[in-house]
Amino acid sequence: MSIDPTSLKRRGFLYRVLAEAGAEFGEIGGAAVALRYRGSIEEETHKARHLAIADLSPLPRCGFKGNGAVEWLQSQGLDIGPDSNKAYRQPNGALAARLAPTEIFLIDDLGGEGRLSARLDAAWSWGKEKPRKPCGYPMPRADSHAWFALAGAESPAMFSKICGVDLRTHRFPDLAIAQTSVAKMNAIVIREDRGGVPGYHLLADSASAEYLWACVIDAMEEFGGAAVGLEALRRLGGP
Amino acid sequence: MKIMNCPLNGPRNISEFAWGGELRAMPDPNTCGAHEWADYVFLENNTAGMVREWWCHVPTSFWFIAERDTVSDEIVRTYRATEVFKDRVEFKTAPLPGEPGS
Repeated sequence: MSIDPTSLKRRGFLYRVLAEAGAEFGEIGGAAVALRYRGSIEEETHKARHLAIADLSPLPRCGFKGNGAVEWLQSQGLDIGPDSNKAYRQPNGALAARLAPTEIFLIDDLGGEGRLSARLDAAWSWGKEKPRKPCGYPMPRADSHAWFALAGAESPAMFSKICGVDLRTHRFPDLAIAQTSVAKMNAIVIREDRGGVPGYHLLADSASAEYLWACVIDAMEEFGGAAVGLEALRRLGGP
Repeated sequence: MKIMNCPLNGPRNISEFAWGGELRAMPDPNTCGAHEWADYVFLENNTAGMVREWWCHVPTSFWFIAERDTVSDEIVRTYRATEVFKDRVEFKTAPLPGEPGS
């Protein structure tokens, strides 16, 4: 059963656009999330295997930056490797995207409860040592960046229309990151396949979320792509 | 499109980069005169030939150094600023009026 997104305090940047396109919303962690569209869920999952976009902006994400930030996250039990521009998968399904040697963008799992973000948020403090031990600083990302998930076999072909970096699956491996220009906007692209279907996270300035959404919908049109809800994405399977 | 190689992100379209001016050695701000400092801050040599310049990869705000031939517009080499700036530069500031030592 769909809820009215305006009945909740937290909504995505695009909820009006999605509602107009027929999205049915549900509550996850106090936020209105587009879970599915009109029609059967099997049909929607089939679309996600071909080419689809989902708005995950209401789901939790966070970041940490600065000298000592990576070491602090590792001390909190996160598995983060040495390479920049690579995402590291955590046991609960979250991704720690290493954007630079001292910058991590964390996107939580598709469960949407934001357990990792909440735990880190509660654990972080400047520390009491004097002089202070460098531990970086939190970098809130939930309001700065819109978060879209792209899925489907045709998604690399669609990206070639709006992005100069070669994102084809044989050139851009799973969990690779490209910080580049997408539809003339600065954006972060992270590849994460689900159930053997190519997938990408697209993170970009939230103030232009409607513009970017419209660009991607337009670019998907020639391939028969469509907007899908979070449920279809979950049904593709695990990473 | 012209391609530039970002030391952090790899080869990218030139439209993702912003020019940041000529790279020059900084005169000692405590001993140099106003003319020399103004020349360093505001003026460009406008060399025809090989130059070292600051460039920024805008999507990541990553600043690096490029060696470029301004005649042929050929980018010969790009590298991290840490190749040139190996030590932290500390600036001595004069004490404010009323502070000890003024």
